Amino acid sequence: ADLISQAAGVSPPGKPRLTSCRSPEKETFTCWWEPGDDGGLPTTYALYYRLENTETVKECPDYKTAGENSCFFDKNATSLWVNYNITVVATNALGRNISEPVEVDVVYIVQPNTPENVKAVVIHEDRDPFVKVSWDKPRTADTRSGWITLHYQLRVKQEEDKEWVEYDAERQKNYNVFSLHSDREYMVQVRCKPDHGFWSEWTQTTYVKMPNYIPRERSLWIM
Amino acid sequence: CAHGPSGCHVPSLADLFDRVIQHSARMHSLSNDLHSEFFQYFLPSKNHIGKIYRKCHTSSILTPNGKENAQKLAREELTEVILKLLLAWRDPLFQLHQSMAHQQDFNSFSSNKALEMGDMAHELRKGVEKVAEKMRVLGMLGNSVTGLSAAEAMLPISDSGEAMSDYDLLYCFRRDSNKVQNYLKILKCRIVPEHDC
Repeated sequence: ADLISQAAGVSPPGKPRLTSCRSPEKETFTCWWEPGDDGGLPTTYALYYRLENTETVKECPDYKTAGENSCFFDKNATSLWVNYNITVVATNALGRNISEPVEVDVVYIVQPNTPENVKAVVIHEDRDPFVKVSWDKPRTADTRSGWITLHYQLRVKQEEDKEWVEYDAERQKNYNVFSLHSDREYMVQVRCKPDHGFWSEWTQTTYVKMPNYIPRERSLWIM
Repeated sequence: CAHGPSGCHVPSLADLFDRVIQHSARMHSLSNDLHSEFFQYFLPSKNHIGKIYRKCHTSSILTPNGKENAQKLAREELTEVILKLLLAWRDPLFQLHQSMAHQQDFNSFSSNKALEMGDMAHELRKGVEKVAEKMRVLGMLGNSVTGLSAAEAMLPISDSGEAMSDYDLLYCFRRDSNKVQNYLKILKCRIVPEHDC
């Protein structure tokens, strides 16, 4: 049979690889894998997990919600402060191959969705104009109940600048950016991070145009 | 207060909560640091890996394992879980420091961290007891949270009689200190739900 399969250019599947597991809100989580070589045959993938201090091995409850090559654990399948030992098994007509196991505790794999509704407006009152940036928390993160606490960061630059300038807003959902140049357009992005976890992606760029103005100090000096 | 009640600022319940939450966050960060230092240090030998998932000595304390379960618990129960966890760590953290201080191959910096963690857990427990007392005075907490008697909450560090390794202790404490921080936040937002919490 080996000779036949070699002649046909087919083989058992290659080793799949679990690439990451992430929870956006500490209530559900998703794991993704990279399939290995399929050996030239139709190959199926199954994810199995075993909870710390238990013997029972369970299969992934939901392969659909998070897209291809993923397993989604809903609220009922998600527990915190307990390790999940996770493996992916690839199977085709000629055999199977098992990924290296991955251990996760959902508490430590939290990566929130991006903040929402980012606004940047120029405030021009009695002093030099500045930009007030404000945003909302990601909708899925339940900060109200205290279940998750988010810290925010924003970054600002002009289109042609190489480097962003970053600011820590801590737990506030707005931040005033001063000392921006007159008559220039600025790009603003925001991201958030839970206490013990990963930064979200940066938001899509929000643009804000500074008005043409003469800075206070200089206007005094000119006069 | 030396100058009488009018001369000093009496912290509000929200202030007290913020203090214990900050304290618990620092304690957890410290345990996180120490855990990863330890992990890096001993990883090459791999001796520990197979044994990591021994049961923690606090596993007999029933703790909510998610948001909904934590929210289902009464304030009194949640407070009690926090106090139980903290009390159960009193002796093990002391032992951890002793053991690390006697290990030649471990630097004093790390063993001082272990000592600091023990102190922090103790202070945090006192802090949470104060918060509980304040809640009781304000009528926000029933009387069912009795100050746990030490004997009741002392859990044997291991039921098998075999001592838990330093690594296991750190692993378990890292987890428990994270629980404490989360439960404190949930409790605070339930009791003083001001500004977005």
